[in-house]
Amino acid sequence: MAEVEETLRRIQSQKGVQGIVIVNSEGIPIKTTLDNSSTVQYAGLIHQLVMKARSTVRDIDPQNDLTFLRIRSKKNEIMIAPDKDYFLIVIQNPSD
Amino acid sequence: MSTAIGKDDRKKKRTLVLRPSSRAVNISGSHGFNQSTKHTTSILGSSSRRSFSLGAGSKVLDKSTVQTPRQAVRVFDEEDNDVTPQPLYQADPGSVQAKASRFFLDEISGGSTSDQTITSASFSMPFSRSVLGSSRFSSQSTIESINEEMEDTFPKRDMPVNLPDVQGKRVAVKEQVTENMLNAVIDIYLSETDCISLLDIPSTSVSVEADNADTITERNKQYAEICKNMVGNEKYVDRSIQTLNDALKHKQVQSDSIVMVDAGTFVSTWEMYDTVSGPEPDESVSDSETKKADIPEAAVDSSRAAEKSVSMGSTTSTGSVTSSMKDVEAFGNSLNAEADLQLIMLSERFQQNLLATERSIVGNVFQPKLAAYRQLLVLDNPDRSLNSEAVEQKTEGSENSPALEYLWTFSCELSRGRSVSSMTWNKKNPDLLAVGYGDSESSDQKPGLVCCWSLKNPTWPERFFHCDSAVTTLDFSTNNPSHLAVGMHNGTIAIYNVQSQNNQTDVINSSECPNKHMDPVWQLKWTLEELSLTGEDKVESLYSVAADGRVSKWFVSDTGLDCTDVMKLKRIHDGKLKAAGNKTEKKTESVVSALTPGLCFDFHPTDSNIYLVGTWEGLIHKCSCSNSQQFMETYKKHFCPVSCIAWCPLSPSLFLSCSSDWTIQLWKQDQFAPVLGFTSTQKAVCDIKWSPKWATVFGVVNVGQLEIWDLKSSIMDPLIVESAVPPVNMKCLLFASHTDCLVVGDSVGQVTVYLLKNMRIGKGSQADVLEAVIQSATSRF
Repeated sequence: MAEVEETLRRIQSQKGVQGIVIVNSEGIPIKTTLDNSSTVQYAGLIHQLVMKARSTVRDIDPQNDLTFLRIRSKKNEIMIAPDKDYFLIVIQNPSD
Repeated sequence: MSTAIGKDDRKKKRTLVLRPSSRAVNISGSHGFNQSTKHTTSILGSSSRRSFSLGAGSKVLDKSTVQTPRQAVRVFDEEDNDVTPQPLYQADPGSVQAKASRFFLDEISGGSTSDQTITSASFSMPFSRSVLGSSRFSSQSTIESINEEMEDTFPKRDMPVNLPDVQGKRVAVKEQVTENMLNAVIDIYLSETDCISLLDIPSTSVSVEADNADTITERNKQYAEICKNMVGNEKYVDRSIQTLNDALKHKQVQSDSIVMVDAGTFVSTWEMYDTVSGPEPDESVSDSETKKADIPEAAVDSSRAAEKSVSMGSTTSTGSVTSSMKDVEAFGNSLNAEADLQLIMLSERFQQNLLATERSIVGNVFQPKLAAYRQLLVLDNPDRSLNSEAVEQKTEGSENSPALEYLWTFSCELSRGRSVSSMTWNKKNPDLLAVGYGDSESSDQKPGLVCCWSLKNPTWPERFFHCDSAVTTLDFSTNNPSHLAVGMHNGTIAIYNVQSQNNQTDVINSSECPNKHMDPVWQLKWTLEELSLTGEDKVESLYSVAADGRVSKWFVSDTGLDCTDVMKLKRIHDGKLKAAGNKTEKKTESVVSALTPGLCFDFHPTDSNIYLVGTWEGLIHKCSCSNSQQFMETYKKHFCPVSCIAWCPLSPSLFLSCSSDWTIQLWKQDQFAPVLGFTSTQKAVCDIKWSPKWATVFGVVNVGQLEIWDLKSSIMDPLIVESAVPPVNMKCLLFASHTDCLVVGDSVGQVTVYLLKNMRIGKGSQADVLEAVIQSATSRF
């Protein structure tokens, strides 16, 4: 447990990391380093996106499954690690 | 209140006057009186002619019924006779009224028959329901007439006929249905009714072979005769008859509106697959990143046997989009969230995901450097130019001379302040670097540390092990790529398994071995030996050289890879070698005093039997594993301790040695004098390594700087010199096997990665080049 906390802390202290959000399976953010409104926004929007992405992957091959999703945009990069019970979302701006 | 309808003469039967004693308003569905306020749906769905006062039955069968107190309805005819129809069935109020159909029967039979009108057709009690439900009694004369009669009267009423007997029964039933009755066993007798003819149309044709065919023929003939005679006969009179067509009337039916709900679902390919294949353990190992062979997340998923990921994406159009609802919610229940968080954080998958995420993030940060390491094209980040005006200008175009480019540094808070003593690459996964930290020269001995760094994350080591004493040497095994042998300052040799994540202790430890080294182990090496007999299995042995003057071969005596057990290591006597103590090649005398510390050794690249040992005295001995008594050869040149020896990997007969006497010597195997000697600074040379790619290039670390020598370009001076910033001292060096990079460890715990650029080394057999160089060099003398 302490290791996990340690890893999260390290991630948070990496260069350019803007925030970490952990969302549970119902779409409720359970841990976040961003402010409330952004967190809720990210949680809701990304939930939908991950559903779609997962559906896409599995439609092509039902034995496949989505393991990681990265969205690179002009200003930052959103990395999402989805799972059955949660999403882990990290937002980074690597050119900071 | 009383409504009298006089039926005209069209009906021969007596008209019936319905005189309900009160307004009982319960409308059976099929009549659908407009004035009524309460509606019940038609139960039977039978013809409208049939249903009336189905309220009672509807109590059981109907879905929505509002019961109102019923008053007795009595029917009077014109002469005010009470012609209230009596039911055929006199219900016993005390009897159990369990069967719903009985109500029907009661009502129907009660309503549809009157004593006067029924002449035929047995309406026995067990009236099958199907009769009630479906048939139209249109052809049965008596019943039909009754129906018509009733039906004629009814539409004009605004209240339904409520039959007293039925009502009474109903009430009785209400009183009597108790818990006991419901639980009581009820006998139901079913019996077959008599055959009921509903329709009998006698045939109009008779077979000629029938019995009465003759009589019928006779009658037919008579009839024909009569018809013929009829024309002008007075016995027969024509008369017209008019068929009365009753007035048509509209009947309206009202029912509850049928509530329609739209339901839809979207099924995708994978949902079908999930349903068909059923719950499966989630076998897919996560991480889209490349997995390292040495540090896999060993058998996590299968042991966990996670449930199949139930399709989270199954959507139904009726359900609202869940995420939009979450927007409305605040941060959720705090209690649930806490529990969830704990569960999630402890799960293995989460940790794997964290690992992958961390690597992606770090990968983003270090992307150009890693690309350079991998010798990929380094792309300029297009987004970076948006922010900063001053785009970084690479100054490589102008200079084409060989140079070292700094890439990154492996360092973390664990390693800060410790001196790097040795480094080694993993044999199987060339991205894995094991670094040993330990300061051998200082007086206070801090406990040592071993970190396994991955290229994918230069900010935090993948594994780290704390050791009892300063680490002096490391080596990864080839046969078991996850075994790391560590030699320490107190003479202990430990083998760690880097594969498991949580294990902090070693697999095997030599601390209990009676023959263990008492003095610092200066070098360890795993060597593959070919078995002469089979030639297949390469047995790997661990060799060590220590300050007590022994080169030892280690192997595991007991089997068992349990990392918590401390295993005993035995040394075999064959490999024991006692170095000659004196400078001259005298015979060995006593064991104890005639040992000189061995500082380094190296095995021949192709012949694993032969190795070189460098000693404290500056002698280099070539020895063989099979001969434990004598050296094969001795090379004398250095007069200070030999700190490192390295065979040339590309040219097997050459080797380099370096020592604290500021010199580096290049030897040929069969010559007792060095072929070439190099010196550049007046500092002790700590480490020397051949480049794995270019035979003429080697790297040298002395105290203050890193030097890259290229024998092809110059044998007098190094090609590239990289100085260390004082007070940092460089300690050791290692070339990377797949790329043009090298790593340098220094005294503050940093491991720096450099890229060799613009080394204009031509193609061609490297060994030849080296030979040529040497030839040309030696020919000068």
